Amino acid sequence: MIEVKDVTKKYANITAVNDINFSVKDGEIVGFLGPNGAGKTTTMNMITGFIEPTEGQIIVNGYDISKKSKKAKKQIGYMPEGVPLYTEFTVKEFVNYMAELKLLKGEQKKNDVKKVIEETGLTSVENKLIRNLSRGYKQRVGLAGALVGNPAVIILDEPTVGLDPKQITEIRSLIKELGKNHTVILSSHILSEVSQICERVIIINKGKIVAVDTPENLEKKTKEKNTLIVTVEDPKGNMETLKEKVRQIEEVKLLKDNQDNTKQYSITSNEKVDLRKILFEVLPKEEITIFELKKNEVTLEDAFLKLIDLDKSQEQTNEENKTNKENKKEKKEIKEENKKEKREAKEKDKKEKQQKKEQKKRLKEESKKEKGGKK
Amino acid sequence: MFAVYKKELKSYFLSPIGYIAIGVFLFIFSLIFLLTTFNYGIYDMGNLYYSTAAYGLLIIIPIISMRAFAEERKSGTEQLLLTSPRSITEVVLGKFFAATTLIIIILAFSLIYYAILCFFKAPNLVTTLIAMLGFLLVAMAAISAGMFISSLTENQIIAAVLTFVLLFIPGLTGMFSALDLMNSYQKFPSGIISLTEVISLLAYMLMFILFTIIIMQRRKSIK
Repeated sequence: MIEVKDVTKKYANITAVNDINFSVKDGEIVGFLGPNGAGKTTTMNMITGFIEPTEGQIIVNGYDISKKSKKAKKQIGYMPEGVPLYTEFTVKEFVNYMAELKLLKGEQKKNDVKKVIEETGLTSVENKLIRNLSRGYKQRVGLAGALVGNPAVIILDEPTVGLDPKQITEIRSLIKELGKNHTVILSSHILSEVSQICERVIIINKGKIVAVDTPENLEKKTKEKNTLIVTVEDPKGNMETLKEKVRQIEEVKLLKDNQDNTKQYSITSNEKVDLRKILFEVLPKEEITIFELKKNEVTLEDAFLKLIDLDKSQEQTNEENKTNKENKKEKKEIKEENKKEKREAKEKDKKEKQQKKEQKKRLKEESKKEKGGKK
Repeated sequence: MFAVYKKELKSYFLSPIGYIAIGVFLFIFSLIFLLTTFNYGIYDMGNLYYSTAAYGLLIIIPIISMRAFAEERKSGTEQLLLTSPRSITEVVLGKFFAATTLIIIILAFSLIYYAILCFFKAPNLVTTLIAMLGFLLVAMAAISAGMFISSLTENQIIAAVLTFVLLFIPGLTGMFSALDLMNSYQKFPSGIISLTEVISLLAYMLMFILFTIIIMQRRKSIK
């Protein structure tokens, strides 16, 4: 059991982690989710006792990490970000050293090292220098180092970064397996990963916890409206007037104009209404042929983005409130308008930048994948 | 402490550092042997150790101590070390004694020259051993200073250069003569164990080991 109470970490000018509270039960797999620089690694470093929180308390299995650090650290196996390893050692030597650092001795040490090397599938390379191993194997060596000594709590910082798809699935299933006997905390910015492995998700943004819940609940929570995606052939252009004919429809939006005369629309209605039946009845009457009809599921990705957006907008309203109090009523309106305009412009800029970044990322990833495929 | 000690000692010989240190020591020791004993027949083991300490340690110590913490910090393995259930004192002492052991190994090589001299007329063994003991203490003190500097940075080159400066400047200017280790290696070479010298070397050592521990502790909350 891990309890994080009112923990804050401040640096000279930045508050990296701001007053976070959560607890992790025994045997739970919990995922830390957040954009880059959200404070995931800082939080993990504080739980493992690598850095000390400016304020607050962290208790691991009943031991305070800063007061009874030796006992608390004994409960934890940590694989830090970037998987640091002593590359001049062989796999076996490294795992052996990690076991010694964790106060294991004699027969128990031998058995544990052997067991962990087998568990992580490193037996075939156990006498190779770590320096000469591929990225995927290095990751496993790091994992083996964290697992040795059978610690009750395992903390993994971005365990699947830089692995190929096959290795990712392997590591994931290994983590799931670990979750049966250990408490696992892992961080990731890959959402599908977290929703697959974790029982509970903690979303962090800008050093604050935005949400703590199961992946399913998060998806439900952020779902407001029913959206259907339909692909239709519509020679007479009746889709545009559909909204006027069916009352329950709130919005009809053209998504894609396919080359083969079909078009893809998203149709939104209130949450309680199921449009599928109605559409099947109405569309043929309008001489529209349905090619495809599917529900648009809210993914964890949407939930995540939405929660972070909410966080931003809350901050903004707070700021507005502050400025309102300070300003006199007459000046207020003008200033607000100006500020809103500026903000909107800024937001637009930000969004555009983000979109560009994402596009670049995608392109990079795709090219990487292609390269990987060629190899 | 023993786990860290064992690993560090092993690391010295898995990387070229251990061999380079031994090589540099033997080179300088041989050079001085050539210049004094060989050329002029000066029959004084103490002088050999004194001169090697004065010039050789300036090079050997930075090589040995630069990696102590800087390398671990740079590669991130510091995280593995500091999140393990080992105290910082254990880690610092483990590293310190590993480096000390390397110096002892290096000193063992210098006995070759004692053996060579034995062919002609055996030098006084006790005097030689005392000179070696003094050399060891000076080297240990220098290592503690180097280790302290290594704990301040993550760049090994910077650590090495600063260590060199810290060892070299005090002897040069006389302004910081309290920090000049060679001041405490005046009587050892002639086979005399002076309490003043021993205590001042031990104090120097202790001070920098404590500094290192304090720096490592403090970094926890600054980092």
